[in-house]
Amino acid sequence: MIKFLFKRILEFIPVLIIISFIVFSLVFVAGNPVALMLPEDASQEDIERLTVALGLDQPFIVQYGKYMLGLIQGDFGRSFRYNTDALPLVLERLPATLELAAASMVIAIIIAIPLGVWSATRKNTSMDLLATGGAVIGKAMPNFWLGIMLILLFSVTLGWFPVSGRGTMAHLVLPAITLGTGIAAEMTRLIRSSMVEILSQDYVRTAKSKGLRDFFVVYKHAFRNSLIPVVTITALQTSTLVGGALITETVFSWPGLGQLLIQAVNTRDMAIVQASVFIIAILVILMNLLADIIYRILDPRIKYS
Amino acid sequence: MAVLNVEDLHTYFKTEHGIVPSVNGVSFEVKEGETLAIVGESGSGKSVTSLSIMGLIDAPGKVEKGSILFEGSDLTKIGKKEYRKLRGNEIAMIFQEPLTSLNPLFTIGNQLSESIKLHQKVDKKTARVKSVEMLRHVGIPRAEKVFNSYPHTLSGGMRQRVMIAMALSCNPKLLIADEPTTALDVTIQAQILELMKKLAKEHSTAILLITHDLGVVAEMADKVVVMYAGQVVEYTDVYTLFSNPKHPYTKGLLNSTPKFHEIEEELESIKGTVPTPTNMPKGCKFNPRCPFAMDVCTMNEPALNETSYDHKVRCWLYEEKEAVI
Amino acid sequence: MSANLQSHTVDSHTDVKIKKTNALTRWTKSLVNSKTGTVGFIIVLFVCLVAAFANHLAPHDPAAINPAKMLKPPSWLEGGEKEYFLGTDNLGRDILSRIIYGSRVSLLVGISSVILAGIIGIVVGLSSGYYGGWLDTILMRIVDSFLSIPNILFALVFLTVFGPSVPTLIVVLGVTNWVAYARIVRGETLSIKEREFVRAAKSLGVRNVTIISRHVLPNVISSFIVISTLSVATTIILEASLSFLGLGVQPPTVSWGGILSDGRDYLATSWWLATFPGVAITVTVLGIIFLGDWLRDVLDPRSQGRS
Ligand SMILES: Nc1ncnc2c1ncn2[C@@H]1O[C@H](COP(=O)(O)OP(=O)(O)O)[C@@H](O)[C@H]1O
Ligand SMILES: [Mg+2]
Repeated sequence: MIKFLFKRILEFIPVLIIISFIVFSLVFVAGNPVALMLPEDASQEDIERLTVALGLDQPFIVQYGKYMLGLIQGDFGRSFRYNTDALPLVLERLPATLELAAASMVIAIIIAIPLGVWSATRKNTSMDLLATGGAVIGKAMPNFWLGIMLILLFSVTLGWFPVSGRGTMAHLVLPAITLGTGIAAEMTRLIRSSMVEILSQDYVRTAKSKGLRDFFVVYKHAFRNSLIPVVTITALQTSTLVGGALITETVFSWPGLGQLLIQAVNTRDMAIVQASVFIIAILVILMNLLADIIYRILDPRIKYS
Repeated sequence: MAVLNVEDLHTYFKTEHGIVPSVNGVSFEVKEGETLAIVGESGSGKSVTSLSIMGLIDAPGKVEKGSILFEGSDLTKIGKKEYRKLRGNEIAMIFQEPLTSLNPLFTIGNQLSESIKLHQKVDKKTARVKSVEMLRHVGIPRAEKVFNSYPHTLSGGMRQRVMIAMALSCNPKLLIADEPTTALDVTIQAQILELMKKLAKEHSTAILLITHDLGVVAEMADKVVVMYAGQVVEYTDVYTLFSNPKHPYTKGLLNSTPKFHEIEEELESIKGTVPTPTNMPKGCKFNPRCPFAMDVCTMNEPALNETSYDHKVRCWLYEEKEAVI
Repeated sequence: MSANLQSHTVDSHTDVKIKKTNALTRWTKSLVNSKTGTVGFIIVLFVCLVAAFANHLAPHDPAAINPAKMLKPPSWLEGGEKEYFLGTDNLGRDILSRIIYGSRVSLLVGISSVILAGIIGIVVGLSSGYYGGWLDTILMRIVDSFLSIPNILFALVFLTVFGPSVPTLIVVLGVTNWVAYARIVRGETLSIKEREFVRAAKSLGVRNVTIISRHVLPNVISSFIVISTLSVATTIILEASLSFLGLGVQPPTVSWGGILSDGRDYLATSWWLATFPGVAITVTVLGIIFLGDWLRDVLDPRSQGRS
């Protein structure tokens, strides 16, 4: 297990290097940010002086080397807008985003597992059609639009939940539903198709032939097997989840990483953009690793080699 | 007294290509401690018959007609809950594929003690003791260790032994074995059959043995049902079947099995294939492949008649003789 | 020898023709049999026609500002005006006309970026699978890297650098989507590379990149069609999201995400602004998903009845 983890973590390094390269190149291409950092009435000399001071006049490879050196020491550059290090700013916003993502995941699981299993065991009935139809519509709806419609209905019209912000549980409900619906839709489809396949397996028939109740046959013998592909594919969608969180945060003014990032994008605060991309990538990679571990726990046939 | 009495069983599947009459009027009985074999080529409806008895036919399939009397009560009429009480307890089943018939995610012990706990209402510890005992009983070495291992660590033969242990753990009155040795090596086949025979004798369990191998029939069976295209075409005891087969299909089966044919060169397989359910010939279902087919065979379907004591045949060849006599 | 070859080609030619007509009837039949497939096909056809004939179908100029008609509700509601079926926005522009015109950008961006992604995917997948070695290692690590950055995040960074416009949008969405194609093409290339005829060709000195690409593409075409179709759906949503965030299609070009973004500020008083463009996106995407699911069932018999 330790060996397996070690090997997987080693594999992250090239991925992170490539990401740093892509992001750095993009920012390099974006051009000299000094003009944005100084007051509007700054002279050309001021700009040049700062450019030299920041080393922005040096060739690409030198700048990239410096940047990498900084990264290794945990230095992601300074945000000129906040005039502090970028990394703490990003990390400060992370809990809010994680809270939203976790709540959405919980909602998605609560909806998707019973619905997926239920429609798989009632394959091709009208109820199954309703469930799969709902899942497809959930998938087709853009996240941000669903959020706006929920605000329209539950905040503006009914006044049940606050329109925006973070703090109480009530604040969390609508954003979590917004983000959770999309994941639930995909997950329901996955669980259903996985369950349909597993339910036709020989060992499910064996379980039935023992006289077990349907509930046990479905939830003990079929469900755990059907989770194996679901876990894998869901983990691969962590990046979709985080992407969805960015937009959902904007819709609900949720003070998370997404909001910070969109602001940074609008003000061209590149240090924050770079740091966010990095942190998010690490997050996604860690989720995939977690899924890999769960997968190994679920399936005794896999050896840690 | 008969443990099982199947009477005019019809099991149909409603598919998009139309209704598939997989089992079409099958009748037979299995007496206490007796082994009845059902033989026939693949696709003749043997598995569907056994699953019908287990009550495990899922939509789009359904037992449309007929009765399945088990110890006097009709299984086609009892409720789901009562059926569950019988399954794995009074009637147990072993399947063809030992490699896929055990759940890969649970230990052998977990799956074995599951039915013991369920039907014998014992606690975990007792179930464990009984399970290990059962594993030893079916000849598994290091039963304690196997109890805690996962199916993928065992060979096919070992897994089939586990399946047998599981099936016999609650001392069923009837054991249904659907091609239990088809997927195994020849040497392992013999061992498994021997084991089944021994255990069934100890507990006077009746066996319904499904197979397409007449060698297995000769080894194990007391009575034999020959099935073709969802129907019984011949039904008699094992000695009569081998010494005096009547139906041309049975003769064909015997001729195509090396062991039962004296002159090696004349070994021949039955020409053609089993008709698909949606493409059934008119008249006798075997007529397109039958070397003795007559005009009547292509027009009307023969009935299953008792041509001599305890020997039933579905064939015009014998109906005519009877009519003459 | 050459005559032989020729007659062979002629034969296979007529063969192909027969197969084609058979395939056409088979496809039509299967489309008619699949309810969702039919619905999807009709929706997609409808949206395409609307986009193509937007200038004939739109009742108003989508950009025409009319201060006298600001925030009118849909015509079928109280206070609505007959000529504005879905109402007007804060500048008095006709919502229906704007939605009709908005379909153009959605389809344009969705389809062209998927084509671009396909091309990048083929090139990367072929080179990765064919050359193998360190090139393969590097390219596959790049694939992993792309998988760990959310599409929208990558697009945001890209658009910040190059500035938002329709061509940039097409490029950036193409660049974010190529990964899936690269993987299939690579897998297929790897398996074909090992076949006898390719080895033979190699020993004869034939450039086998040509051979491989000729054999890879027919084998991945069905997966390609299915992935592309579903990819158009997600790309349309992504484009709308970016436009909603103000980083996608810029005014005066009309886009569904843009209309939605405008409407968000008037949610309390004029719900129709934000509602109808969302309906347009959802229905379009739904149609494409249905069509894609049907295509998958037709093209890949293994998946039949799975979903
Ligand atoms: N779930 C099903 N749906 C449709 N047809 C089925 C189904 N199961 C079995 N059949 C049909 O029933 C016939 C008998 O099958 P089976 O009992 O499995 O034959 P065998 O004698 O080989 O065990 C076959 O023609 C098969 O096509
Ligand atoms: Mg069978």
